[in-house]
This record gives sequence, C-alpha cells and structure tokens, in this order.
Amino acid sequence: MPHRALLELRNVTIKFGGLIAVNDLSFTVNEGEIVGLIGPNGAGKTTVFNLISGVYRPTKGEIYFNGENIVGLKPYQVCQKGIGRTFQLVKPFGNKTVLYNVMVGAFLHTNNTHVSREKALEVLKLVGLHHRKDMLAKNLTIVDRKKLEVAKALATEPKLLLLDEVLAGLNPAEVNEAIEVIKRIHRAGVTILLIEHVLKAAMALSQRVVVIDYGRKIAEGPPEEVTNNPEVIKAYLGERYGAARN
Amino acid sequence: MGLLSAVVNGILMGGIYGLLALGLTLIFGIMKIINFAHGAFLMVAMILSYWLWRIMGLDPYLSIVVIIPLMFVLGYLTQRYLIKPVLDAEKDVREPIGALLLTAGLSVAIENFVLMVFGADYLMAQTSYSGASINLSGLSISVPRLYAFIATLIVTVLFYQFLNKTELGRAMRATGQDRGVALLMGINVPKVYGIAFGIGTAIAGLTGIFLIPFYYAHPTVGEVFITKAFIIVVLGGLGSVPGALVGGLLIGLVESVAAQYMTATWTAILVYFAFLVFLLFRPSGLFGSRYEW
Amino acid sequence: MARLASPRYYLPVLLILLLFALPLFVKSPYYLHIMAMVLFWAYMATAWNIVGGFAGQLSLGHGAYVAAGAYTSSLLFAYLGISPWFGMFIGGLVAGLMGFLVGYPTLRLRGAYYALATVGFAEGFRVILTNTTHIGKWKTGGAEGFMIPLLGNAPQHMQFISKVPYYYLILVLFLILVLICRWIDGSKLGYYLTALREDEDAALALGINTARVKLVAATLSAFFAGVGGVFYAQLIRYLEPNAIAGPIMSNQIVFLAIVGGRGTVLGPALGGLVLTLIGEITRVVFNQIMGLHLFLYGLLVVLFVIFKPRGLIEFLEVLWNRLVNLLERREGKHAA
Ligand SMILES: Nc1ncnc2c1ncn2[C@@H]1O[C@H](COP(=O)(O)OP(=O)(O)OP(=O)(O)O)[C@@H](O)[C@H]1O
Ligand SMILES: [Mg+2]
Repeated sequence: MPHRALLELRNVTIKFGGLIAVNDLSFTVNEGEIVGLIGPNGAGKTTVFNLISGVYRPTKGEIYFNGENIVGLKPYQVCQKGIGRTFQLVKPFGNKTVLYNVMVGAFLHTNNTHVSREKALEVLKLVGLHHRKDMLAKNLTIVDRKKLEVAKALATEPKLLLLDEVLAGLNPAEVNEAIEVIKRIHRAGVTILLIEHVLKAAMALSQRVVVIDYGRKIAEGPPEEVTNNPEVIKAYLGERYGAARN
Repeated sequence: MGLLSAVVNGILMGGIYGLLALGLTLIFGIMKIINFAHGAFLMVAMILSYWLWRIMGLDPYLSIVVIIPLMFVLGYLTQRYLIKPVLDAEKDVREPIGALLLTAGLSVAIENFVLMVFGADYLMAQTSYSGASINLSGLSISVPRLYAFIATLIVTVLFYQFLNKTELGRAMRATGQDRGVALLMGINVPKVYGIAFGIGTAIAGLTGIFLIPFYYAHPTVGEVFITKAFIIVVLGGLGSVPGALVGGLLIGLVESVAAQYMTATWTAILVYFAFLVFLLFRPSGLFGSRYEW
Repeated sequence: MARLASPRYYLPVLLILLLFALPLFVKSPYYLHIMAMVLFWAYMATAWNIVGGFAGQLSLGHGAYVAAGAYTSSLLFAYLGISPWFGMFIGGLVAGLMGFLVGYPTLRLRGAYYALATVGFAEGFRVILTNTTHIGKWKTGGAEGFMIPLLGNAPQHMQFISKVPYYYLILVLFLILVLICRWIDGSKLGYYLTALREDEDAALALGINTARVKLVAATLSAFFAGVGGVFYAQLIRYLEPNAIAGPIMSNQIVFLAIVGGRGTVLGPALGGLVLTLIGEITRVVFNQIMGLHLFLYGLLVVLFVIFKPRGLIEFLEVLWNRLVNLLERREGKHAA
C-alpha cells in the first residue's frame, strides 16, 4: 500500500479562553487506513474532529487534506472536499424518515431526487438499516440512530470518514455488529479516523492509534505497542480509565 | 421646546420605557421567551386603571393595590396554563418558538377582546395632577411623568435587590442561567417560571398605571410601547436588568432630543438601524455581558 | 392514463376545476371579492411558509415585503405609467431584493433573535412609509395612504370593473405558487431546507451551504409576498402603510400559516382558507362587533400552538386518505 497521507495535522492548537483543548497536535492518516483516536474523557478528541471539519478554526497550526490546507474552510466546504463526520451526540433530522435523512447527504453529488434515493438506499443496505428506511428517525433505537448517523455521512461519499464514538452505548452484540459495518465501509474504500472509548473495539479495528491526553499526543503506533506504553497506561488505562471501569 | 427641556422630558419618558422593558427582560432572562403579549398586558392595566378611576373615582396610583396583584395572577396563570404546556412539548426542540408564537397570538386576542368590549375610544384618566407641572426656572416638568420616573427607579432598585439578595431571586437567576442545573439543585422550575412571568406581567401593569394619567389608552396602545421595549432590551442586552433602564433612558433621549434636529423619519431610521446593528453584531447589548443572569 | 384514474390524481384536478368554475355560480361582486381575498390570504401564507415553514425562520415582518411590492408597482403605474402586469415582476423583484438584504445580515440569528430582527426591520420600514410623503416629485401619501388612479375597465393596467378577473388572477397566482412549493418540497432544495430547519449543524456537516439555502428561501418568500402585494394593491386600490406594512398584516400571514400547519405544502393555504372564511362569516353575522375576527385568529393561534402544533393540515390528511381509500376500494370492486 502506498503511504500517501490523506489527512495531516501539523502543530494544531486551539484555545478556549484559558483552556488549551488541543495542544500542538500533529499526526497523519494515510489513504486506506483505519486510525483510532483515543484518550480519556475531556482529552480533546471531539475538539480534534471539530477542528478538522471546520466547526472551529485552530488558534495555530495547519490541517492538510489531500495535500491542501483546509484551515478556514466552512464545515460544508470541508464536507464537499470529501470529509464526512458523525456527531458524538447524534443529530438525526428527527421528524423525517430514515431514508429522507440519508437522502439529504446523498444530494451532495446530485440534484436529482431519484439518483439521491438510489444512492441512499445503497448506503442503507451497506450499514444494515434498509429495513428501517420508512421509520421516523426520532423513533429509532440507539444502535439504529448510530447507524443512521454513519449512513448520512457516508451518503456524501467521503474519502475520509470521521466517526465519533459510534460504539458507545451499545451492548456487546451490537458492538460486534457495528464493527462489521465499519469494516464493510472500510473495504468499500473509505479511509477512517475513529474516536473510541470502547478500547477493545478501537484496538480491534484500528491499524494504528493516536493517544491524546489534555490535548497533547502522548503516544502513537500499532495498538499492541501503544497499550504497553507506560505513559499511556498511566494517563489513560492506569489511573482514570481503570478507576472508571472497575 | 428647548434642548434642556427635551433632555429632561426624554429622560422621564425613557424611564417609563425602561420600566416596561424591565418586565420583558426579566421574562427573557429567566425563561428565554420573548413575550409578545407584554404590550397587551400593559394596555389591559391601563384600561382597568382607567375604568376604576372613571367608575369608582379610584386614583390611578391607588389602583396599584388592586391591579398589580391581579396582573401577577394573570401572568402566573398565563404561564401555568398556556405557556407551560408548549414549553413541555418543545423540550427537545432545538429552537423552540412555540411560546413566542403563542404570546403573539395571545396579544392579538387580548387586544381585540378589549376592542370588542370597550371599543376603540381613546381613554385617559384626567386626574387633578394630570396636567400639573413643576416649574424650575423656566423648565417645566410634568408631574405624572416625574412620578412615573421615580417609580421606575424604585422598582428597578428593589428588583435588583430582590434578584441578588433573596432566596427566591437567587433561585430565579439560577434558573435563568441553566434550567437543567436549577432542576438538579432542587429548584421548582415551573414555579419559578410562573413567578417570573407573574412579576414581568405585574411590571407591565405598573407601567400602564403610571401612564394612564397622561397617556391615552386604546386597544393597540401596547404595540407602540412593545416595539420600543424590544429595541430597548436588545440595546441594553436581553436579560440585563440595568440594561433595560439604561436602554430605556437612551431611547427616550434619542426620541426627544433627535426630534429637535431631524424629522421623525430620520429618528425612526436611526433608532431601528441601531437596533438591527446591535442585534446583529452585539446581541449582548451595550453594557451587558452575555450572561447577565 | 391509468394514473389519472386514481383518485389521488383526479381529485385534485376536480378541485381545481371547481375553483375555476366557481364564478359561474357566484355572481355577486361582494362574494367574488371575498373569494379573491380568501385566495389572497391563502397565497400570502403559502409565500411566508417558504421561509417561515420550510426554512424554519420565523419572520414576523412580511408586511414589509407586501408593502414593497404594492408601493413599487403602484408608484411606477401612477407616475411612469408602467402597467402593473409588468409592475408585478418589478414589485416582486424589489421585495425579493429586500428579503435578500434582510436575510443576509440575519443569517447568524436563530429563533427569537431572528424574529425580533424581522419585527424591527418591518417596523422601521412602516415608520418610514408613514412619514414619507414624497419621493422626489412623487407623492406617496405618508400616513394618509396612497390612492391608485382609477381608470375604469383597463385590462392592460390590471384594472377591471368586474371582480371575476381579479378572482382568476389570484387563483392562477395561488396555483402557481402551490406548484412551486410542491416542487421545492420534493426537490433537493426542499430536503436542504428541512435539514436546515431540523438541525443546522448536522446540515452543515452534510455539505449544505446553509447560508445560501436560507438566503434563497428568504428571497423567494419575499418575492412572492411582493407579487401578492401588487395584486392586493390592484384589488383594493388604496395603500395604507399601517394596514399593509404593519403588524396586522405581518401577524395575520403568520397566524394563518401556523393554524394551517407550517412547513407543509398545503397547510398554510388551508389555514388561509379556513380562517379567512371564518373571519368573513363572523363579519357578516356579527357585523357590529369590531375586532371579533382578529380576536378569533389570536385565540385559534393560542389553541393550535398548545393543542395541535402541526396545524389543521393533520385533519385534512386523515380525511383525504380516507376519501382516497374509499374511492379506490369502490373502483377496485368495479374492476372486479
Ligand atoms: N466550544 C468550547 N468552548 C469551551 N470549551 C470547550 C469547547 N469545546 C470543548 N471544550 C473543552 O475542551 C475540552 C475537550 O473537550 P472534548 O469534547 O474535545 O473532549 P473529548 O475527548 O471528546 O471527551 P469525551 O470523551 O467526553 O467525548 C473539554 O475540557 C471541554 O470542556
Ligand atoms: Mg467527545
């Protein structure tokens, strides 16, 4: 596989008042990879997504996508460039059907309602939500809401998909099912950067993980290596994570 | 009218605007609702006060004792039976505007109800002091306006103390800052809302009572005032108590002083333009921080 | 052909034919005028709905656009002799431009703040209209209002002795607008507007230029409101700033749409139809009582916001589906 960087963050920093939520962060995501972004609560993971997707503008640093600096682009422009994202707190268009929700995304590359519908149905099949297509989004179960969130983003045909804790809140069976869905999306040619709290799942999916704490990168590498990194164990697995889990 | 006289009159009238705006800003600060019926409530109090004076000879200022509790109850019930169901139903809506629409509908209903019952006559309580004025070396100050101004100052100070010093006031402020946290703190949020809406309505009523000795009441008199109150709360910062007073004085002054130098059109353009600029670029208002509450 | 045989298609067609045939049965100018006004309000509520319903931006200042259209065409007609047929487009364009100019700076405003801005703008515009008696050499009338020169029967200037042409004119305008709204609803623009209304952040994340979509909605809505204003001017022939640009106009438009069901294609029109009829009936029955119809409007808004926030259209949908099912079943039997 050619190691071409699809996404690259260079020394990205953002401050909210006195709080440095992301601090001099650099990492890359290569084309075709699944990269995990992990870290304890409040580490700044979601903020990284908001920086990439244009919701926030970094105080310092650059973000390259496909070799182009995308800092300063609006969220919709970032999406048009080929970066899809999901929200940690899912944002369905509640009063509309599942199909309608996904069609909104699918309209990015067409003006034609039929084309959009076909595309949306295809995506719904891919994420396993086809049987719910006529249900109102607000009536979906948690798993299905998460799937819908992914389907909407996927319908915009992203090259890079940012998934924010899509496995959180699912039971083990559902987690396995969702992991299969993510793998399927990956096989379809989409590069994935995912935030996960369910560490086991993140490890199972990712070829590489980036660990952040207090907005700083504290480790990066293959999952096995990172889990043995003493700093990670201390910051994440050892103190807070361990305490929270047990 | 000389400039000095214009300034004094502008300040006095501005105080009254500020009093009305105080009620509006209170309701917004705590409930995040723009009460479009605020002007209608003002009008109701004016009409009630007028008829109490007309039929029973009750001095408008004395009618406060009757009308203010009545207005409080009216506001409390409005919140409890009309607004609360809408707020509850819209709990998960990101930008709830049902309550705003409801108050807009309520306003039109009240105005036209009054029109049906009392007609469109222009009513004013011609009391002994209605036309009275104090002469200060050539500067004439209208007595009822002066009373209204003094009342505004007293109410604003009292109200500020109430919000900051009393248990209930603190509960109200906490609710305004974050409804969820207030619930967790064990604050009875629906009750606080009811009281806030009640007080806001009572303040609108008080404004009306102080107006009736020198200002004609008619079913749509509220519309004249509410638009000004909107402008004032935006200038002063939505939800800001001192902002309401300062914004009121400012608008009163501009209206009165600008009228010396330009046509009403230009004054209006100036005021509305300032309003829009603030709304767009500084929704926190002239002085207020965004979270005054 | 098979499609036409379904009640889903022939019922609306029948309804439209009925609307066109009405003047054959109604001869009284008074009733024709009322029918035209009913359609006018249905039209206005539908125009408002593009921004207020589809885009979810609560505009409380549409009176300004109505006035912009009405004054533009009327002044052009009175002083330059430009026919209102042409003035209709110019009036619409001027109103549309105004909608754009209001929409642009208010893009960032949400919910109540947006509503307040539209109130402020419209009030400012109304005050200017009431205090302006001349534009250059042209008399505009100020608070006294503006009379449109009466030419008698002059079809080329959109003036008719009979009320029938007015009825047909507003009927056609109304039908065109409903068709456009129907098209919007099922098109990409409609999906984008819905997304924007439901959750702007989510819409942005799906590549939607929400600012542009809002502006399109605001401009279109104002354009059609302006065109409606031109029609109103021609029908009433008298423009009074407080009536046409004031809160009575602005609020009434919104109220009709709320009671009918905002955000749906036919809801606002239904609201306009039902409420205006109620208003006219009460005017006839209790002609002494001033304010009754507006009192009822206000009351209905309160009741609908509390008990039926989705509006009258919900009842109509149920009724419609029953009717269609009934007819389809009957035909099924026929075929068998
Ligand atoms: N808009 C904002 N303004 C101020 N502070 C913010 C803002 N957004 C995030 N923060 C702060 O930045 C820090 C990082 O938050 P972020 O949501 O990125 O964490 P996270 O790693 O996603 O946490 P979690 O695992 O809980 O989702 C937190 O302290 C948060 O309070
Ligand atoms: Mg997060």
